[in-house]
Parts: sequence; structure tokens; C-alpha cells
Amino acid sequence: MHATPAVHPPLAAWVRFAWLLPALLFALALGNGRWPLGVEFAWVAALDVAVAFHIDGLSRLFVLLITGIGALVLFYAPAYLAGDPRLASLVRLLLAFMAAMLGAVCADDLVLLFLFWEATSVLSFLLVGFDHEKPASREAARQALLVTGGGGLVLLAGLLLLLEAAPGLRLSTLSSLDAATVGQPLFAAGVALVLVGAMSKSAQFPFHFWLPGAMSAPTPVSAYLHSATMVKLGVYLLARFDPALSGVLSWWADALVAIGTLTAVWAAVLSLRERDLKRILAWSTVSALGTLTLLIGLPNEWGALAFAIFLLAHALYKAPLFFVAGNVDHATGTRSIDRLRGMRRALPLTATAAVLAGLSMAGLPASLGYVAKDVMSIAKSLSEPMWLVGAASVVVSAVGVAVAAVAALRVFFGPADGPPLAADGQGVSLRLDLPPLLLALCGLLLGLFPAWAEPVLLEAAGVVAPRLAGALPVLGLVDGPRLGGVAIVVALGAATYGCWDRFHLLLERLRPLDAFGPAAGYRLALRLVKSGGALVGRRMQNGRTGFYLCVSVLAVVALAAPLLPPPRWSATALDGADLGFAAAAALAVVGAVSAVAARDTLARLLAAGLVGVACAMVFLFRGAPDLAFTQLVVETVFVVVAAVALRRHRPLSPPPRVGALRAAVAVAFGALLGGLTLAVQQAPPDTQLSQFFLGASLPQAHGRNVVNVIIVDFRALDTLGEIAVVLLAAVAARPLVAALRGADAATAGRSVILAHAVAFLYPLMLFTAALVLLRGHNAPGGGFIAALLAVSASAAIALVFGPAAARSRLPLAPPALAAAGLVLALLSGLPALLLGQAFLTHQWGEITLGGFSFAFSTVLLFDLGVLCCVWGALAGFCLRLLGEGR
Amino acid sequence: MTNLLFALSVAAIAAAGLWLALRRDLVDIVIGLALVGTAANLFLFGAGRVVEARPPLLAAGETAFAHAVANPLPQALVLTAIVIGFALTCFAVALALRLAGGREVDGDALSAAEPPPARDGEPGGLP
Repeated sequence: MHATPAVHPPLAAWVRFAWLLPALLFALALGNGRWPLGVEFAWVAALDVAVAFHIDGLSRLFVLLITGIGALVLFYAPAYLAGDPRLASLVRLLLAFMAAMLGAVCADDLVLLFLFWEATSVLSFLLVGFDHEKPASREAARQALLVTGGGGLVLLAGLLLLLEAAPGLRLSTLSSLDAATVGQPLFAAGVALVLVGAMSKSAQFPFHFWLPGAMSAPTPVSAYLHSATMVKLGVYLLARFDPALSGVLSWWADALVAIGTLTAVWAAVLSLRERDLKRILAWSTVSALGTLTLLIGLPNEWGALAFAIFLLAHALYKAPLFFVAGNVDHATGTRSIDRLRGMRRALPLTATAAVLAGLSMAGLPASLGYVAKDVMSIAKSLSEPMWLVGAASVVVSAVGVAVAAVAALRVFFGPADGPPLAADGQGVSLRLDLPPLLLALCGLLLGLFPAWAEPVLLEAAGVVAPRLAGALPVLGLVDGPRLGGVAIVVALGAATYGCWDRFHLLLERLRPLDAFGPAAGYRLALRLVKSGGALVGRRMQNGRTGFYLCVSVLAVVALAAPLLPPPRWSATALDGADLGFAAAAALAVVGAVSAVAARDTLARLLAAGLVGVACAMVFLFRGAPDLAFTQLVVETVFVVVAAVALRRHRPLSPPPRVGALRAAVAVAFGALLGGLTLAVQQAPPDTQLSQFFLGASLPQAHGRNVVNVIIVDFRALDTLGEIAVVLLAAVAARPLVAALRGADAATAGRSVILAHAVAFLYPLMLFTAALVLLRGHNAPGGGFIAALLAVSASAAIALVFGPAAARSRLPLAPPALAAAGLVLALLSGLPALLLGQAFLTHQWGEITLGGFSFAFSTVLLFDLGVLCCVWGALAGFCLRLLGEGR
Repeated sequence: MTNLLFALSVAAIAAAGLWLALRRDLVDIVIGLALVGTAANLFLFGAGRVVEARPPLLAAGETAFAHAVANPLPQALVLTAIVIGFALTCFAVALALRLAGGREVDGDALSAAEPPPARDGEPGGLP
């Protein structure tokens, strides 16, 4: 953690005025009367994903909430975090969050919706964990992310299933789906997954526990994300789907009513247990979200209207109450209702806002909360009698009244023995009081004059319930019977308020039951994932490399073996022409078996050499002389170099045992590769590409050896990469071999005849290599084979005269030779670039000199580069290794 | 029959290679890796179909192939693969010698370079 700078950087002006942007958007959304509005850009056409937005009445209500409350939150934040260097980053995050929310509620395309949905989850994670120095904050942020992010994945699966069942589906075309499409089991499964995703976002039971935890966020964040906007994204989606599903999917409405009721009651009861003002408000928010879900599930149109009104009313009273909690916290440093008393003297304006918002929350007449409750009761009375739901709503409303009383009365009234104001002298400025006052006043004004909000609300409700049309009774009418209902609820709420502390003690005694709740399940799952991961890690990552190899091979065998086609046995006898090939293959098997059976390292090395020679014979008998030549030289050099280098090596004694399991793994691997080979041989070949090479080799690349033409011309870029790999292997080995004791002295007591023979052979071998290089384009040979010949010449010198002698006979030091080769190969591609052709397109020219014409080509330059690169790299290796053996 | 024999040789070389690669002796491991590489090259060569055919070489004077020839593409791929495989085998030998440092060479000593095993509740991995 770095120290806080002594002097805060001056607050950028834009932070103080950032609220103007959402305010402008709010005005635009309020003023524009042309709905619905659609915008669309093509995006991933192949997957039928488009950047498509569709703004109708429901979206508009949400846009108004997001921008309206967003403006106030951004107005509030600079005062709340005054002097905090992190303020600018908070404002940036809030703006980004607002953009994501706007995208989510306006998106028409399902995939686009998901992207914005996830963006809100991630930004919520960052905002909840804003005080990331505190472990509790980090824990809460992780919990919120895992629950809502995991729910987002479920949502994605659901949306994809829906797109599978109804291709081209958009949110705007949901309501016009026919019953047959909606009736498909696939569609129903998609809807169920979407429901789970929406429940996690809107904190419905059993995902409710993350929301109170998220209260570790700064107050502006809580007011914005966790009461007014993000948590309502889930119910937004449910409301979107409801018109298409209610009446078609039988379980849809019942599930919503059941989940909503359970969540509302559960959260209402749990709110009684809290002592922290913010957490009390959080639980009552969960309760309100449950009520909203319940209202969507109600089958009649009044439910939709109640949904829209309650959505607005809740935002207009809960956001100010969060602001109030923030102001109290800001002024006193505590949010505990045990310590907060009589705060109205210190915070008169905050107290006013709290009381005004509390009136609406309690649903007292002349507030928007009253109107919402009123329409809710009409909706419920019109539904089939569900006494349980009715009883539940009385409990929920009563607790709502009690919570309102706690937030508005308990904290601000009573004896003035509350905590002293914070010592830092930061009182509550007007900038902190204005937003809650404004919102609470709105809640009251719209309660007195519901007609002002009616167009927006009717439009939104009309999306949820398309049959909802004109002919509504006057909202907010105060008459006898309705007042009676309100009086009962208020009386019950007052009683609850009076017994608040007793309820608290009672619920505290039930706390051990938490061990069986969903939150405990979440913690258990998290622990299981961790310890399960550690267990698997301990078992699988045990430090034994052989074990890793076994597991990898077995996994590959298990995955690939079932895909092999059954072998077809053909009983064609070997004819005479095949005898050579058959003998070579049999020799390879013999070599492999001897490599396993050999007791001695040298014998094993020789057996491996035998396998190589047999391989070269297979190549020879099957029309690949270049390969045969290459394999033969490589095998010879390898056996000689390894035998010398490992001369001092003694095998481990006693002879190491390879367990039966490892033998079985090796056999399984061999069987898989053999089976694959057989399957390939039995499949019809696709010779299109080979036919092209065979046909184009002479006319286009002027070469008669097609293999060489492919290497140096058609696939020259590949070859360039391959010689670079050889060079890199040599470079990588340098620090390894440089540390070896390079005994460079010539072998004592060497054979005189051998010395003379090798000294004579060396120039001859290099001459042969040059010939092989030159004729490679038209006959077997080429740069690679020439290089291997040159390497074996160097190795022969080193064996007899010592590595230093061999090194001195090279044209350049090995690494320089290899690098020069790579540069030559690169240069050979440049003329093509100068002529405007693709890199490494080879050029041909003819020079006539005194009656003789010489063909010249950049191909030769390229092949010379291959020769030098491979020679330098491999000779460097071999000389070091040979030196080690001395 | 030739197909079967060819597949058998690939299987035998691959099995012998892996068997050696799973031993403790580092030199055995290096030889085993070289054998596995050889088996892979053979398999790749086989992808061009192992049939009786002439090499893909145009005789002087000819302008087009008048007879069936072996598939040139896998040959080109295998040729460079052999050389690269040789370079990597040399690298493995150098590695083995360096690890050995004159002592007996033990594959289990490689485990010393592995990260410590995971403890309960914490992932294993490099420090």
C-alpha cells in the first residue's frame, strides 16, 4: 500500500459537473415523445448478432430512473467523498456503470443485452469493492460478483437456448411469438434459465444474501446500484418476458408469485435483525424487489400498473433514505441505530428528507407510496383469492412501515444523546441534503398529483400488459374503505416499530439457524471449490514428471481412441515388389524391441540407430530418396555424437524398474499411433494439393525434384521458420553447453591411418556437400542434406583431431555461421519485395558469358542459407558434445 | 498387409520410445524422445499413403509425370522435421549432461525444479 500523498491533487472541474450529463439525458428522455424508438447496426452478421436498441415505454421508465437518480448521485458524490483522492475514479466508475445500465435496458438484441448485463455486474464488483483496503469490502465484492456473474452465465445459457428455439428472437418481438414456439420444451428450458439469471441479479431468494453484503460500498453507490437501478435489472427482464409467457407457460406466473412472496417476507423478517441503518434499508430493498416480482406474476393488468408505480415510488423513497443514511454516517461516523438518536437538531434538512421519504415508504395518504399500495391492493383483490399472498403482503407492508419509522423517527427524534459530530468538522453541506430532499419531494408531489406521472407509468405498464387501456380510475383517491386498510397496516407497523428491539432479540436467538441458509451454502460451496482444487492440485501436481507424462498420454488415448474407425483387415499377400519394404518395417520393429530389451546404454543407442536406419529404408522403398538420405545421415551423426558424449555415463544401478502401469501407458500410446496410422492408410487420400505441386514444379519453379522445390520455393516461408527453430535450439543450448568442461585437447594415441584418412576425407565431403546442394533442385539433395553431410565432416574431424581443430576449419564460428545462413535466406527473399511480389518469390535469370549461359536464381541463395544455418547450428552442438565426452 | 506392417512398426517405435521416456535414467529419456520423434515422422510420412511408387523426380527431358509418383508434400514436411528433431535431441543431450554434472543421471532429480505441491486452501505454483 502506498502512502496517501500529503497534498491532494486539485479536484478536476469535470468531477463536480459530471451530473450535468445524466441530467441532460433525463431531460431528453422526458421531453421526447416519439416512442418506441429503434436503432440498429450490423455487428456479427454470421451469428445473427446486431447492435440493436429498442426503447419503448418500459425502457423509458428505466432510462428516466437511471439518468434522474444518476444525476443526483453524481451531484452527491463529490460532496460525500470531498477531499478523497479516489473521487475521480468513483465518478468515472459511476458514469461507466450508468452507460452499461442504459445499454442493458435499451438493448433489443439478446446477446447485446447479456453483454451490458455482465458489464453492470463487473462494474458493480468494482464499486462494491471500492474500499479495497478493507477485507470485508473485498469479500462482499467477490460475493456480489460470483452470485450476479454466475447468474449472468445462467442467463447467457438461457438466452442462447431461446435463440435456438426461436431464431432471430429480439426482446421487441417476444410478445408476438406464437404459442407453438413458446410451448417448445427448449424454449421453456431457456425461460427457466433466464428466470434464474434475473433472480440472481434482483436478489431473489435464494440469491438474496449478496445484496446486504454489498452495503460495504460507498453510500452514493448503494443509493444508485443497490436500490434504484441495478438490482431492478432482474425484474426489468422478468417484466419484458411476462407478456409473452403469462397464460402460455403454465408455471411462469405461479413461479413469480411464489418467489416474489417468499423473498418479500423473508427479507422483511431479516430486516428486523439488523442494527446497521444501511443494512436495514438493504433488506427492505430485497423485500421490495420480491414485491415487484410478485406484481409481475399477478395475472391481471392492474398488476402491471402496480408494478410500474411501485417501481417509481420505491426509487423515490429508497434512494433518499440511502442518502440520509450516508449523511448520518458522514456526519457522525456511525450507522448503528443503537447510537443514533435525536439527530434532527444537528441535521435538520436531512431529517426533513428522511421524514418525507418515510411518509411515502409507509404508504401514508398523499404520497406516491400510497398510490402504489392502493393499486397493488386492487390488483391483488382482482386476482384469484390467494390468502397466503394477501397475508404475506400485510406482513411486508407492516415491516415497511416499521423500517420507515426507524429511518425517519428513531434516528432523528427522541432525546438528544446521539453521537457527537465527526471531529473533522465536515458537516453536511447543502450538496449532500439537496438530492434526498428533491427525491422525497418528488415522491410526495407525484402522490398529490398522480396525473403528472400517469403517461409515463401507463406507457410502461402497457408494455407489460398490452391489454391495459385507458379507462382507469383516478389514482390516489382517498376514500373510507381504503383508508381503513392503510390504518390497519400503519397500526401493525407502529406495533412492530415499538417492539423492534424485542423482535431483534428474538431473531438473534434464532441466528444458529443461519448455518442452514443459502448464505452458508454459498460459503460451503466456496470452501469446497478451494479445498477441492487444492486436493486435485496436490494429487495431480505431485512433482513427478513421469506421472505428468503418463496422465497426459492416457488422456489423449482416452479421448482419441473412441474416434478411431474400426480397422478393415485385407488379406492381400505380400508380392515380390513389397519384400524390401516389408523387411525394412520388420527391421524397425526389431530395433524398437531391442531398444527396450537392451541392458546397456550403448546397446540401446545402437538399437535406436537401427530403428533410424530401418526408417531410412522404409523411405527409400516408398519413393522418398531425399528422406532416406536425410534420415541416414542424421542417425549416423546422432549415434556417434551421443555415444561419445555419453561415454562417461553409467546407467543407474540397480537397473531402474519401469512399473507395469508405465509399460501399459507406453503400449496404449503405441497402439493409438498404430491405429491412427492404419486408419489414415485406409482412408481415401486427398491429392489435390500434391497434384498442384507435381504439376507446377517445373513450369513455375524450374525444378525437377518436387520435394526440394516445395521446401525452398512453394513453402519457403515455412522453411525459413524451421531453420530459425534450429538456430534457436542452438542459441538456447549455448548457456548449457558453455558450462560443460570443453576438453579441447586432441585425442591422445589416435590412429595415424584414421587421421590421414579423415584429413583427406574432409575436403572431399565438403565438395560432395556442395554438389548435393547444387543439384538438389533437380535430383535428390538440397540444402538440408548438404548441411548434414557438412556436419558429419566436422564431426569426423572433431573425433580425430578434437573439437578445436574442427571449429578452426569452419568458415565462421558456429553461431556466426548459423546466423549468416539465416540472413542469406532472408536476403534471397528481398528481390521479390523490390519487384513488388510476395516475399520469397524466387527470381530466375540467365547470364550469357562467352557462349556459355549460366542460369542463376535466388533459390540457390536460399538453399545456401539453409546449408549454412543448419551446418552452423548442428556443428556447434556436436562439437560441444564431442568435447564433453573426452 | 503392407499397411498393417507399416502401422505395426510405427506402433512399436512409439511404444518403445515412450517406455524409455518414462524411465528414470536421463539418457534413456533422451533416446526415448528421439524414438517418439521418429515414430511421429513415420506417421506423418504415412499420411501421404505408403504405396509402391516412384520418387517425385522428373527425369531430364520430361515435362510432366507420366506415371504414379509418391506424394511429395509429406516428404517435404518430414524432411525438415527430421532436421529439427535432431537439433532438439542434441539440445536434450546437452540438458541431460548439464543436469548430470558428472554424477549418475536420475530423472527424479528433475522434480527438484518443480514448484512445491499445493497446500490446503492454497494453489500450488511458482513462488
